Amino acid sequence: MTAVTAVAAEPLAELRDVTFGYGARSVLRGLDLWIDRGELLAIVGVNGSGKTTLLRLLAGTLRPGSGSVSVFGRRVSAFDRRELARRVAVLPQSLQLPSGFRVAEIVEMGRTPHARSRFGATADDEAAVERALVDAAALDLADRPVEELSGGERQRVLVAMALAQEPELLLLDEPTVHLDLGHQVALLDTVERQRRNRGLTVVAVLHDLALAASYATRVALLDGGRVVAEGPPRDVMRPPLLAATFGVGLDEAITPDGARHLVLRRPGG
Amino acid sequence: MRATLVTARPLLRGPSLGRTALVLGGGGALLLVALVAAVAIGTVGVGPGETAGILAHRLLGLPITATWSPAAETIILDLRLPRVLTAMLVGAGLATAGTVFQALLRNPLADPYIIGTASGASLGAISGLLLPILLPGLAIGAGTAWLGIGAVQVLAFIGGLLTVIVVYAVARSGGRAPVVTLLLTGYAVSSVLAAAVALLMFSSGRALGVIFGWLMGSLGGASWTDLALAAPLVLVAFSAILARWRRLNVLLLGDRQAAHLGLDVERERWILTMLATLATSAVVAISGTIGFVGLVVPHLLRLAIGPDHRLLLPASAVFGALLLVVADLGARLAGGIPVGIITALIGAPFFIWLLRRSRSVALTVAP
Amino acid sequence: MKGNGITVTRILRGALFILLAASLAACGQTVSETFTQVGQAEPEPPVASASAAPDFPLTLTDDAGRAVEIPAEPQRIVSLAPSNTEIVCALDACDRLVGVPEFRDGYPADVLETIADLPNVVSFGPVDREAIVAAEPDLILAAGNELTSSDDITALADLGYPVLTLYPESVDEVFADIQLIGSAIGAVTQADALVRDGKDRVDAVVATVAAAETPRTFYEVSVFEGQIYTAGEDSFLSSLLELAGADPITGDTLSTAIDLETLVAQDPQLILLGDAAYDPSITPDAVARRQGWNEMTAVVDGNVRAVLDDIVITRPGPRIVDGLESLARLIHSDLFE
Repeated sequence: MTAVTAVAAEPLAELRDVTFGYGARSVLRGLDLWIDRGELLAIVGVNGSGKTTLLRLLAGTLRPGSGSVSVFGRRVSAFDRRELARRVAVLPQSLQLPSGFRVAEIVEMGRTPHARSRFGATADDEAAVERALVDAAALDLADRPVEELSGGERQRVLVAMALAQEPELLLLDEPTVHLDLGHQVALLDTVERQRRNRGLTVVAVLHDLALAASYATRVALLDGGRVVAEGPPRDVMRPPLLAATFGVGLDEAITPDGARHLVLRRPGG
Repeated sequence: MRATLVTARPLLRGPSLGRTALVLGGGGALLLVALVAAVAIGTVGVGPGETAGILAHRLLGLPITATWSPAAETIILDLRLPRVLTAMLVGAGLATAGTVFQALLRNPLADPYIIGTASGASLGAISGLLLPILLPGLAIGAGTAWLGIGAVQVLAFIGGLLTVIVVYAVARSGGRAPVVTLLLTGYAVSSVLAAAVALLMFSSGRALGVIFGWLMGSLGGASWTDLALAAPLVLVAFSAILARWRRLNVLLLGDRQAAHLGLDVERERWILTMLATLATSAVVAISGTIGFVGLVVPHLLRLAIGPDHRLLLPASAVFGALLLVVADLGARLAGGIPVGIITALIGAPFFIWLLRRSRSVALTVAP
Repeated sequence: MKGNGITVTRILRGALFILLAASLAACGQTVSETFTQVGQAEPEPPVASASAAPDFPLTLTDDAGRAVEIPAEPQRIVSLAPSNTEIVCALDACDRLVGVPEFRDGYPADVLETIADLPNVVSFGPVDREAIVAAEPDLILAAGNELTSSDDITALADLGYPVLTLYPESVDEVFADIQLIGSAIGAVTQADALVRDGKDRVDAVVATVAAAETPRTFYEVSVFEGQIYTAGEDSFLSSLLELAGADPITGDTLSTAIDLETLVAQDPQLILLGDAAYDPSITPDAVARRQGWNEMTAVVDGNVRAVLDDIVITRPGPRIVDGLESLARLIHSDLFE
């Protein structure tokens, strides 16, 4: 644990002593974690360590077995679904999109929690959709039918849909799994821009340690259903800690500009 | 904070005004033509002039001297007009319910009967048909009616609704009724009820012909009373469903994403299922189990105008009504055969043609 | 998240629907009555039916227990069952028929000729309401026990037509129905004469077979895919067989089916092939070759007989007495020359 610094404001979200299990299998065991406003928190850990479960608890689609999950100062379970969706958005890994819709119409579905009119989009909705498409660099896709999108284009549309929700908290569930490197970087750049320009808080489950290290303001390492380390990337992404968790050999190298890099040690030298 | 629009053109036109007008207007016009034709044409010849005269005189109150026989008037006003209007109502109701179930269950084979309405309503109706035979002491049957409707319609309606409620209760666990469980439970319950129906048919003796006619679906029993009872149910169900167009669209994204967008998925599914079942049970009660309309019409329209339920729902209703009016006319001219035979004969080949034309009728695109 | 208020909402919604529907149905009734014009009978004091020459208008009670008002002597009669057609013709009113069922099988030649050009008002299943209305009938003769669906009967009655439902379940009830139709169409004298003659002939048959032994008899109605259909228990056909001096083996009351094991156990002494009238491949030899049938007493003794006039035996009309006589002759051939 890092040294305690003076807390200026209440955390945006908090998990306190949370346990969760699927039947007999216990996934989270007394997990504690807080999320500060405006940060980009990366959650890393091996598969099965509970990363996705943690995200779903924050999104409200799962309920903890014990302990509490709070966002915006209130228990998640105390929120109306719609109310929560106005402030929390989830970017899924992938999504089956209904064929026959244009991209703009899919993005507009992100306005659902805000939708006021029975008949269609209001001017506010229109503006929000447009903004989201611009931010996600998907404006040129607006009229395209979703059946014709490539993988990378799809992801941009999903990002736009999440941004159209105008959330305060954005949850990313391993969003880079299906993307090639260029698209991965573009996605996280977009998210980072939102964080800086609009104060968006981001919690991202990432399996790619390099991406986590590059973009996160804070990293939480999960192992055995608990947070075993959290803090700025330079503190958490240390070879001994990561090697123990992931079971691989890691070294650290320093490039001439002073930046530190993790290097994977191949077995057998 | 309102940002100024980067682009001038609107991104979200909704279904364009032009397309809406074309589909609904065109459909509506065709429906009107079909209505008039179906009232004028039948096994007994009543000339178009006489038909128009009768309708104008009796419906609009225009003072026209009657050049037609009382029999012609009875045929047009008491037999054909309620029958054609019933065909419209039933077609619209079935198509609407089919649209809802295809979206709710994300299954292209979904039709209004998929979770048990047909078998439940059939069991109810056949019990009603056989009651006077099986239990003559009960004195229910010919002439017994409450508010003008007979045991058959009431039992069919109740049977349809109850079956879906039971299926839902069985499929629900932990407060959730996932789609696949619903489908499978519906199939299982339907099978049990179908066996009961078969047993009743075996014991039915000479009433078998009447029972078979009901199962195939027929508009021959149409009456103003049936229409007056079923129409408000279908209209209310349709309005309530149409008001939920946005939720139906979002449900197409899948349960999880719909929840993330603020929908109480289980509640919505329950409400929409019951609304669609209400419409289905109401029309099955007065016309028997007519197939294909609820399956084919939504698919066809989705391929033509897209999946946005804002337009798809009213369009399905209009074209469902149109299909059944035309099919019923065909059934009448073919010798009074059950209309379900005609809808299957039209529906099936059309459906096959559809499948070959479009790349797929799957409702979603996999990543 | 939110609680389960949906149940309350649903119930309230349901109640609202039903209220709406009920009020609209009341309107619907009014609408329906406004439109109905044809055949509205003026309310007249009902005259009790009697066998002495009745005057019209009169009210009769039919086999379904409904009181039917007939305002005037019917001149345009629609029949929804062949038995009714035959009764009308036997009462010399054949020329007053304006609509008959589609099937023209098994009528006597003169009836067939008269009805040859009449419009069809019913085929298999529901009636053709338009055809009935177009024929402008003033009396409709329906069949009971859902042979004409009660839906159709109610609908036609609601349109204002007098609908008489006939469903005789014994020879005596056939006679009663003949007299009922006779009263309904103003042919009481003919009906009485027909019935008198019929009763005499029935008595004669009964007397002839009274002393004879009653063979255990199986009447084959049809055999299809292993399902055997015969006279149901307490059915018309079984009562007819008893009158004709036989001891009928009966099947299930409702489905009229009997399974082969039961039949073998009952071991009929006489087998009458009612389906031989419609299917030339059904012969005594064919029956003898059937799996499991060859040990029956009837088969062993060669007492398997084709019934070529089955239609007369199973149609509950004026020729039922012919049918009875024919049956008696088949069963007790030695007693009749």
